[in-house]
Amino acid sequence: MAIHPDLLALRSDPAPQQLAHDALGGAIAQWRESALVRQIESDFEAFSQGAKLAAQNGLAALFDPADPMAGALIARLIDPLVAALGQHPLGAVPLRHYADDQSATLVLCTGGGAALSVQVLDPVGLSRQRPASSVTFAPGQLHERILAGSGAAKLVSLRAMRPGGADLDSEELRLEPGQCLHRNSGEQCRMITALDAPLVLLRLQRREAGGALTREYGLADGRFIAQAAASPRETRLELAAALLGRMGRSDAAPLLAAMAEEEAGQSLRWQSLKECLGLDTATGFASLCRIAGRAEDPLAAPAGALRAQLIEAYPQLEGIA
Amino acid sequence: MNLPKIDISALPDLNTLTAAFGSLFQPGQAGNDDTVIIMMVFVYERLIQP
Repeated sequence: MAIHPDLLALRSDPAPQQLAHDALGGAIAQWRESALVRQIESDFEAFSQGAKLAAQNGLAALFDPADPMAGALIARLIDPLVAALGQHPLGAVPLRHYADDQSATLVLCTGGGAALSVQVLDPVGLSRQRPASSVTFAPGQLHERILAGSGAAKLVSLRAMRPGGADLDSEELRLEPGQCLHRNSGEQCRMITALDAPLVLLRLQRREAGGALTREYGLADGRFIAQAAASPRETRLELAAALLGRMGRSDAAPLLAAMAEEEAGQSLRWQSLKECLGLDTATGFASLCRIAGRAEDPLAAPAGALRAQLIEAYPQLEGIA
Repeated sequence: MNLPKIDISALPDLNTLTAAFGSLFQPGQAGNDDTVIIMMVFVYERLIQP
């Protein structure tokens, strides 16, 4: 097997790898030590826990077009990182990052369903993409500042939901350096259509939790295409419920019944209810009856139908209904 | 009371199914959200770390 000499040198001795790690980690640590970044991190912490952006002066200033410090702040991080990477080309930047042929993202702060990141979109990669035929709305807050680059975008707004789809509005948007965009990403989606130069964005995002759904609609006709959980927690709990069912953990039935009856996404609640019924018929059926009896619960109708179906299949259940 | 064992594969799904978090990521809408990053971290945190 052919191994590049540089990689061989790196494997032969942990020192170069350690040096690269120290150089890149040091650059980030130095950036984080400044009073301004400490203030922004403290503001981010509050924002991630639900505080309003406007009440966090340091963080809010990054997304105020009248305040020019955002570019300089990011340059103070990126310049030493690029210099360190120049000296240690095989080093890995110890921040969450992701790159493909059309974008690169570096996450500066993350926690509590929120993230502050820098993103670069590449015009060449973007031009290779087929024009989007659908639009996705992911509930949450999104604040963006264009640090560099320009281009054109479409701002698609969800005007109203209707059975089987949604009414969408669309307006053309010109993207210019210094511009700040604020939106509820559950109601508006910015789709970039063309770029004149690489677009560098500073983005602050906070996802909505508590059973919120990401929904996809056709751009041309607004027809509903698909939906997914908007928070990783919902999917994680749904997987956990399915796992408890497959493991035959009947001792978890009361917990699954509680999950089915509490405030959460309908998909998670239904999955928990089904697993509970499979693990412990009495506990599951009692929970099913309680849900079916709640007039205001969106699961009342399917729960009522399932209760009738089960009583028909197993008449002895009527005795505990 | 002797209650039946219910086979959950016979129980109905809701009319509209909900996919897993991150599954609606669209490359054509770069910048819409960064669910792929979060999904990677999620997998790492759940599977790699104890």
